[in-house]
Amino acid sequence: MLKWIRALDRVLKGEATSTAALRTGRFDIPLGGLSLVGLLLGVFYGVCMGVYAVITRFHRPDAYMGYQQLAASAVKVPLLFFLTLVITLPSLYVFNALVGSRLSFLTVLRLLVAALGVMLALLASFGTILVFFTISTSSYSFMVLLNVVMFAVSGMLGLAFLLQTLHRLSVAQESLPPETPLPQTEPNASPPGETPPQALPPAEDIYPPLDPTQSLGAGARRRRPGPLDRPEGQMLGKHVRTVFRIWVLVFGLVGAQMGWVLRPFIGTPNRAFTFLRPRESNFFEAVYGRMVDLVSPDASSRSWQRK
Amino acid sequence: MTPFLLRTDDLLRGRFGADETPLRRVLPHLFLSVLLFGIAYGAVMGAFGGVRGERALQVLYSAVKVPLLLLATFAVSLPSFFVLNTILGVRDDFRLVLQGLVATQAGLTIILASLAPFTAFWYASVASYDAALLFNAFVFGLASVAAQWLLRRFYRPLIERDPRHRLLLRAWIVIFAFVGIQMAWVLRPFIGDPHTPTHFFRTDAWGNAYVVIARLLLRAAGI
Repeated sequence: MLKWIRALDRVLKGEATSTAALRTGRFDIPLGGLSLVGLLLGVFYGVCMGVYAVITRFHRPDAYMGYQQLAASAVKVPLLFFLTLVITLPSLYVFNALVGSRLSFLTVLRLLVAALGVMLALLASFGTILVFFTISTSSYSFMVLLNVVMFAVSGMLGLAFLLQTLHRLSVAQESLPPETPLPQTEPNASPPGETPPQALPPAEDIYPPLDPTQSLGAGARRRRPGPLDRPEGQMLGKHVRTVFRIWVLVFGLVGAQMGWVLRPFIGTPNRAFTFLRPRESNFFEAVYGRMVDLVSPDASSRSWQRK
Repeated sequence: MTPFLLRTDDLLRGRFGADETPLRRVLPHLFLSVLLFGIAYGAVMGAFGGVRGERALQVLYSAVKVPLLLLATFAVSLPSFFVLNTILGVRDDFRLVLQGLVATQAGLTIILASLAPFTAFWYASVASYDAALLFNAFVFGLASVAAQWLLRRFYRPLIERDPRHRLLLRAWIVIFAFVGIQMAWVLRPFIGDPHTPTHFFRTDAWGNAYVVIARLLLRAAGI
C-alpha cells in the first residue's frame, strides 16, 4: 500500500513523468496500485460530500437517509471518475494513433490513470475545506457551487498534467538517443511559411544527465521542472496539439455531465434518498439555477433551509 | 521570557529562519507566539461589554477564539496547499514554505497584539457596538495587510529561486482568506453585543458568510 502511495507521490512531484524518466523507457507506473489509491481518495472525498446529507437530517425521522446518501456518495465519486475514464479512453487512444503518435494503448491507459490520480489527490486535499463549510453552512446551493468549483479546479489541473505528459511522451518517443542533438525534423514540424523553430539547444541542456550526482547540484535541483511545466525548446505539431486540446475539452464536458447523471451527490435536504434521479436538464443549466438560487432572497425553493 | 521576546523581535525584522535551524525547533516557538499574542488581542477584543460579572466570560471566549480562528483556518487550508505545491513541482521547498506560513501567522498575531491598545482606547471612547465592530474589522484588515508584507518577505528568496512560488503565494492568500472569512463568521461573536447574553457561539445562525454578503450586495444594488 505504502509503495503505491509513493508511486502517486512520484507522479505528483513529476518524477514519474520527467522527460529524463520518460526517455529511459516506458512510462512506468503501477497501474493497479495507482487505481487503488485513486479509489480510496475518491471514497474519502465522497464521504466528505455525504457529510452534508447526514448533518441536515440529523435529528429528523429520516436520519437514516443521510447515511444512505453518505454511502452512495462514497461509491459515486470513484464511479464518476471511472465511468469518465471508460467513455474517454477509446477516443483518446484512437485520435492519438490517428495523429501519428506512437504511444501504445497501455501507455495511454497509464497516462489517463495517472491524470485521474492527480485529480483525485487534489480533490481529496480539498476535503478538509469542504467538511468545514459543510459543518458551518446550511445553504444547499452554496455547497453545490463549492463542490463544482473544487471539481473544476482539480479537473483542470489534472487535465493540464495530462496534456503536458502527452506532450512529453510524444516528444520523448520521437527524439533520438541522448548523444545526438535533438532532431530538427519532427514528423509534425510546423509547415513552411510559419516562423521556423529556434535553433534547438543540445540535448544536454534539455534533458539533464541521468546520473543525479553529476550535475544536479543544489541549485539545479531546485529548478527541476514540475509535472505541469512544458519542457523547453520542444515543439509538437500544431494539429497534434489542437487534437489534444479538443479532446481535453471533451473530457471536461463528459466529466461534468457525468456528475449530473450520477447525482445526487450532496442530497437536497428534504427530498427522499434515491441512488439516481430521473433524467432531466443538464449540468450547466443546473449550475446556473443554483447561482440564481444562492442570491435570490425569497426563492420558494429555499423552504427546506435549516431553521 | 527574554529569549522568547528576542526571537519575536527577530521575526519582525525578517531575520527569522535565515540560519539553518531545524524546523522542529522553530515551529513550537512560532505556535507559542500565535497562542500568546492571539490570546492577548482576543482578551482585549472581548472587553467591549465590560469585564465584570458575566461579561468576563466574553473576554475569556474571545481570548480563546482568536488563536483558534487562525490555527483552525491554517489547519483546514494546509492540505490543499501542500498538494498544490507538490503538483507544481516545488515540494522540495516546502520546509521553508511551511516555516514562512507559520511565521506569518505568528507575525499577524504580534501585529494584532500591538494594535490592542488602540482597540481598548476605542472601546473606552465610543459606546456604539457597530462602531466597535467596524473598528475591529479595520484592525484585522490592517494586520492582514501588514502580515502579508511579512509573508512576501519570506517568499522573496523562494520566488527568486523559482517563479512558480509567486503563483502559489497568491493561491495561498486566496485559500486562506476564503476559509478564514467563513471561519470568522462561524466563530462569532468575537466582540459581544452588550445587550445580548454571553455565548460561546451564536445560537441563532451558523449560516454562510458568502451567501449573506451576496444578498447584502444585491439588496444594496436594489435587485
